[in-house]
Amino acid sequence: MASTSVIRITIFTIILLPGLLSAPVVKAQQDTTNLLALLENEAAASGEGATRYTTATFKTTRLVNGHSVENAGKGVLDVKISHRFGTINKGGYELFGLDNATMRMGFDYGITSSIMAGIGRSTYQKAYDAFLKIKLLRQSTGKKRMPVTVSYVPTIALKTLRFQNPEQQNYYSSRLFFTHQLIIGRKFSNALSLQIMPTLVHVNLVPRSTDPNDLLSIGIGGRQKLTKRLSLNAEYYYQLPGYKLAGTSNVLSLGFDIETGGHVFQLHFTNSQGMNEKTFITETNGKWEKGDILFGFNISRVFTLGKR
Amino acid sequence: MTPVNKTMVYCNRYTNNLKYLCTAILLLLLLSANRPYAPNAVFSIKSGSISFRSDAPLELIRAQSTELRGKIDTDKKLFAFVIKMGSFNGFNSPMQKEHFNENYLESSKYPDASFSGKIIEDIDFLKSGTYTVRAKGILNVHGVGQERIIKCGLVVKNGQLNINAAFTVLLADHNITIPKVVHEKLASEIKVEVKAEMVTQ
Repeated sequence: MASTSVIRITIFTIILLPGLLSAPVVKAQQDTTNLLALLENEAAASGEGATRYTTATFKTTRLVNGHSVENAGKGVLDVKISHRFGTINKGGYELFGLDNATMRMGFDYGITSSIMAGIGRSTYQKAYDAFLKIKLLRQSTGKKRMPVTVSYVPTIALKTLRFQNPEQQNYYSSRLFFTHQLIIGRKFSNALSLQIMPTLVHVNLVPRSTDPNDLLSIGIGGRQKLTKRLSLNAEYYYQLPGYKLAGTSNVLSLGFDIETGGHVFQLHFTNSQGMNEKTFITETNGKWEKGDILFGFNISRVFTLGKR
Repeated sequence: MTPVNKTMVYCNRYTNNLKYLCTAILLLLLLSANRPYAPNAVFSIKSGSISFRSDAPLELIRAQSTELRGKIDTDKKLFAFVIKMGSFNGFNSPMQKEHFNENYLESSKYPDASFSGKIIEDIDFLKSGTYTVRAKGILNVHGVGQERIIKCGLVVKNGQLNINAAFTVLLADHNITIPKVVHEKLASEIKVEVKAEMVTQ
């Protein structure tokens, strides 16, 4: 009997003591001389329960030619007018390429915060293109931690330029190009963001019989903010040997993003004339070292169509 | 038999001692635990919202957040309010929200705005009624603190405290610069409204 009551009291004490001890400790924290610090402590304690998603990894949905990991917001129409002039090694007669311009007009729309769709038309090769951009993962901190944002971007391009060889049997499918891109991006700091873009381009009709139809490349790109509203961007696609069209070079682009209210101006230098995925990744023939550098710009203007 | 009895006696004595000890500890703890409750009347925000509007010639921008947190110590007349800048919603486009956080408020560098200080007037927070008080303290926005006196309406009713206040914030006071191109779209003076229901815990 007695020994059981000892046990009972001991258990009682063991269970209750920590609870009783902690009670005055909690109350003692209510030192109100610094309410602000008190609020901050509370926030730190509860803040661990929330997930904070990283925003503004890039200023706009394009790095230079290619996609960034960024999406247009839900209900936002992003109208993009892009120009590429001729190569600057043409000299003064062509005003360093400015006499020669190709352009692409594009309309991108954010269907949800993680899915966007877009269409575009380029004067180069009289090509139409359409794409989807689907966010698979979002970089976040807090409760759910994710080091990177990952997007999947399938693109289809339709080249409507008359067939070069009208005598041969030409199929409509020969005009089609398919691109699958995975974009893995991370905002390392407020100023620096980097991304890599493994890419597969499928070409139905290749120029030479020895050319492969499935072309593989790995892109790398990033931005470094110079001021709050100005950033330096770079983008490079490395084509894997054996999985590229003969005689093409890798595309390298350098540019600036300049943000002014609802506009983003992108001014850049690149060795590609085309502005849809299959053209700049697999059909670039300019070489930087030979001065085949084209000046170009993208203007992006956003319109909010959906509510908020 | 005897050894068993001996242990029984020992046990009984031990239990009695333990009982006294436990009661003593219990009383002590309960008393000391209760002590800080009584004199500290600290009100905390149960639900609070803060909204602002920028009324510029070409654009009206509005945003609000319901994540206002705050405390008032009615004995010491101290107060503190905090809001996460990233919690504001509204705006005219998602891009505007992004610019608000990235370019103007720099929310990753200065995540909070706060107002903390002391209430000038003496009022009885236990007595129901409507009061107007002046809150004097430091308004910290974008990492820049400014001493402000802000008039607040207080309604005390059934142990609950309702607060509302309206004031303006000059962007220049807090080192927030407006680029020339958006001068017509962004007011230099932002109107802020605060509402909160506070209760003691």
